[in-house]
Amino acid sequence: MTNLSKSFHAPDLRKTVLDMAYAGSAVHIACAFSIIEILAVLYRSHLRYPDNKPNSALRDYLVLSKGHGVMAQYACMRELGWLSEDAFTQYFSDGSDLKGLSDSRIPGLEVTSGSLGHGFSVGVGLALAAKLKKTDQKVFVLVGDGEINEGPIWEGALFAAHHQLNNFMVIVDENGFQAMGLTDEILNLGSIEEKFASFGFDAISVDGHDEAALDIAIQTLMQRNPHQPKALIAKTIKGKGVPFMENNNAWHYTRLNDSSFEDAIAALNKDAK
Amino acid sequence: MRAAFSNAIVKLAKNDPQVLLLTGDHGYALFDEFRKACPQQYINAGIAEQNMVGMAAGLAKAGFKPIVYGLSAFVPIRVLEQIKLDVAHDHLPVIFIGDGAGFVYSHLGTSHQSTEDIACARVIPNLSVYSPADAHELTACMEAAYQSHSAVYIRMGKSDRDEVHAAPLSPKTGDLLAIKQTPHSTLAFIATGSLSSTALALASTQYPKASVWSAPFIKPINTNQVIEICKQHQQIVTLEEHSVFGGLGSTIAEISSAHSPSHILRIGVEDRFSTHCGSYEYLLKEHGLDSNAIIQKIDRFLIPK
Repeated sequence: MTNLSKSFHAPDLRKTVLDMAYAGSAVHIACAFSIIEILAVLYRSHLRYPDNKPNSALRDYLVLSKGHGVMAQYACMRELGWLSEDAFTQYFSDGSDLKGLSDSRIPGLEVTSGSLGHGFSVGVGLALAAKLKKTDQKVFVLVGDGEINEGPIWEGALFAAHHQLNNFMVIVDENGFQAMGLTDEILNLGSIEEKFASFGFDAISVDGHDEAALDIAIQTLMQRNPHQPKALIAKTIKGKGVPFMENNNAWHYTRLNDSSFEDAIAALNKDAK
Repeated sequence: MRAAFSNAIVKLAKNDPQVLLLTGDHGYALFDEFRKACPQQYINAGIAEQNMVGMAAGLAKAGFKPIVYGLSAFVPIRVLEQIKLDVAHDHLPVIFIGDGAGFVYSHLGTSHQSTEDIACARVIPNLSVYSPADAHELTACMEAAYQSHSAVYIRMGKSDRDEVHAAPLSPKTGDLLAIKQTPHSTLAFIATGSLSSTALALASTQYPKASVWSAPFIKPINTNQVIEICKQHQQIVTLEEHSVFGGLGSTIAEISSAHSPSHILRIGVEDRFSTHCGSYEYLLKEHGLDSNAIIQKIDRFLIPK
């Protein structure tokens, strides 16, 4: 039911993101790069889609609450065969379907996000629904560290813990940046792990680019402490994979030109070897 | 109206286990019957309305039919973006109940009063807006909302005013309901919510040439019926315990201007918050919505130009 046979090779996924960002002159490249390994591990080993269908009634749910990273998810969905090749070469062309932020009209994208702090609550509702229906469906909600400035995240955290939604896992992409700069300098979050733990979550921090470590952390959280929702704090690098984009917040907004596209591809190829 | 609401949600939940009631820690005694009859379908989401509506969307995506209850100052106003993005965008079957609309909380001030909710809800695609006037209309609105399998905002205002209907109704969604029909009437009153009973009383005592319609459905509304009313009457007065911007009056004026331009007086809350507190009747007076003030407005309107 999971997709162990597919590679979800991180440099290939990043190359897909670069190709489509270049084709569409799109922004938010760095936002996508920080969550590549997280998505690769989830799609490969944890998300169950019966019959490989994105809208199977009994699927697990991946809720991309940080809609800005959607190109990373498109890259994974391409590998699953859920999107046409045209969707990538024609990205952002007039009348095209794939938007610059997650849109639930696309099967495989569970929510319409981009306005931050929404997907967490929808995910809590999905997890509660699975409990009420007594299914074993799991819900993974991917949020940005900047996103957890939003109040509804903490409303939902209270609810998930109070109702012991052990089928709910929030994964925080802690890349240390938000739109205008460093999270530490804008609204200091302190220890995100401790915050979720204090709300009643079973929380673990992990290197968000180490796929083996991510895999073990997710398994560990799913197996232990059966009465708690889970929080996985993934320490990541915004722009990961292309050195000149890493920790350079300009790549939240910057569009690729011919030269930066070539340089980025060259950097990825070097990394892939 | 509140007993009718309690009966309606108990009936829906008993007949359909997918129906869930979510409340943002409001509705103290209102849910006694529901909690007794369907305890497994009752969820107090805490004082956390934004999360409550997001969760309702998740529950609806998974096949449930949530009824989300709050005060209209909070549902839909505080959670408008969650309604738009999480629920309406995805055509999800969630019923939103905004209780205490208008000036019901007359002593509590602006925080708990809501005269902008219809306007805000009306502009959200895929979201219907109902505004019942009495228990019969409320019962019909609840049934229509459930049958619609889509997102509906139901505005519950002052609940203990006079009934405007004598018996249960089965209206077609969108229909305006004639509550006083006067042959060859030249003046039409179209009212919604609490002011339907005011309109009926005024027509009966002061304006013998007036016919009166109550509009429990603001969106969708039966456009052809509105056009017919506009064509058949020289003058139209709309009445609502809501801003004169964006509510029932605006709806009627929009339809009229496109299809049958009419002379329309929109009676409602002018563009202002309450200044003072007092009884409900006092607040209506402060806003010029008591009978005397309404008569003055109508009489000025009726003077031939």
